[in-house]
Amino acid sequence: MTLLVAHQLVKRFGALPATDQVSFSVNAGEIHALIGPNGAGKSTLVNLISGLLPADGGTLTLDGADITHFAPHRRVAAGLSRCFQVTSIFARQTVGENLLLAVQAHAGSSFRFAQRRDSDLALLAAAQELARRVTLEADWDRVAGTLPHGAQRKLDVALALAARPKLLLLDEPMAGMGPVESAQMVALIRRLREDMAILLIEHDMDAVFQLADRISVLVYGKVLTSGTAAEIQADAQVQAVYLGTETDPADEVRA
Amino acid sequence: MNVPANQPVLLARLGLLLLVLALALFPVVAPLFDLDYYTGFVRRLMIVALAAASLNFLMGRVGLVALGHAGFVGVGAYAVAALAEAGWTSAWAIWALAALAGVVVAGLTGAVALRTRGVYFIMITLAFAQMLFYLAVSLRKYGGDDGYTLYTPLTLLGGEQALAASGAPLYWVVLAILALVLPALWRLEASHFGRALEGIRDNETRMQAMGYPTYRLKLCAFALAGGIASLAGALLATQNGFISPSLMHWTQSALFIVMVVIGGVGRRWGAPLGVAVWLVFEELLKQFTEYWHAPMGLLLIGVVFLAPRGLAALASRKAAP
Repeated sequence: MTLLVAHQLVKRFGALPATDQVSFSVNAGEIHALIGPNGAGKSTLVNLISGLLPADGGTLTLDGADITHFAPHRRVAAGLSRCFQVTSIFARQTVGENLLLAVQAHAGSSFRFAQRRDSDLALLAAAQELARRVTLEADWDRVAGTLPHGAQRKLDVALALAARPKLLLLDEPMAGMGPVESAQMVALIRRLREDMAILLIEHDMDAVFQLADRISVLVYGKVLTSGTAAEIQADAQVQAVYLGTETDPADEVRA
Repeated sequence: MNVPANQPVLLARLGLLLLVLALALFPVVAPLFDLDYYTGFVRRLMIVALAAASLNFLMGRVGLVALGHAGFVGVGAYAVAALAEAGWTSAWAIWALAALAGVVVAGLTGAVALRTRGVYFIMITLAFAQMLFYLAVSLRKYGGDDGYTLYTPLTLLGGEQALAASGAPLYWVVLAILALVLPALWRLEASHFGRALEGIRDNETRMQAMGYPTYRLKLCAFALAGGIASLAGALLATQNGFISPSLMHWTQSALFIVMVVIGGVGRRWGAPLGVAVWLVFEELLKQFTEYWHAPMGLLLIGVVFLAPRGLAALASRKAAP
């Protein structure tokens, strides 16, 4: 079953097409990886899908519903949640407060003025459950900005998980991680895929080939090719463009 | 919900109670020492603190630096003039409608202003306040530039035992309103709404990505702050018996920001402290010289160096173990 369909998405910055008629789909339950060299337009594409940038053309369908013109918060409600390449947490608040805020977004209205948020026990239970899920329960009272990098990345993922998404967008979750932290993140993503489809944008090729069911290769704002991990590894064009050759990759694409 | 009553909380509550008591007794005690004049001064201080507290809510809890807050104060003041002109006399009804007018005007201007960020937000709030200022200047009916005098005083109680909204009774009403609104704003900080606003202040993009309708939340906060500022404007008009466009001059909006910064942005006591320090020093310096702006400037530089996060932050740091 197809969960997310991007159809000919376009985003231009001035004359530069950062996303040029990009089409791809993500099936329910799969990990679909999006790879491409620096400047390929991966981050722009993530912002288009999550709604932080408006698209100049094309359509986006999630679970049969057209979400092309949805504001970011409505996309989250529709089942699409994201993480950030540059860790985006509430650095001055504690881990617990971060998680409470994430859970609160999906537990009734935030237009409640009288009750103390911190005495909302249902919210507290849900936030603690979330902490266990990403193994941050021991850091509950710690100020988020003082956590080591790997733990901050896990918190970033947890903030996205609170929405119970159908599709999770992970924007370079391994960025800046050492091998141990990377391995932990791979294990976490394996656990998460039981419950949701994942669109994984990642530079770490080992991780991509370990995790992804299908891979799309983005170059200069266009989808070069899509296929299974094995197909992509064997693809001569991809090897030339992405995994590196003696020649300039730009020439290969234009050819 | 019951918070475990630990000692600091009890002490803080006791201190608060004593402060309210002391303020409540002031109009009774002041005449004994020939300080009648200062009853009016403290009353004005409390009204300005109410307006500044609403701005501090926006600046400190939502991260919105609005340079047009005096505009909403003016809306409240002109609402009093309009309703008095229409024959209304009940202070309570007039204040309620004035506050509502502030909510509506802040809601409409905020709907546009909140589509911008940072410096653009500062400029667009300033622009709206200037529009209100020039609208007031052009209102012949309310005296234009010269202002408008309220000849019939508003009443707190109608009928037989009519009680005018002036003097000590107005003082106590103002104190009661401040003693209700300020703790209500503190309570709001800890609510679901307040926590969401805090998240928007710290990382709005993340809040959107987590599914919060950030625009609507900010608009609600902006309208609320506008309503409180308008209420303060209505109280100011009631106590002065006079309104003029100068109430909404942009320097007044800037002064509110200065007071909040002196007192402590986002601090519970920031607004009242900042307003008290500013008005008390202004009053003191004016007794010595009409060129009070220069020493006031030096004083401000001193505050910025000694308490860069505001006077309230200074106090709380000392209180910490």
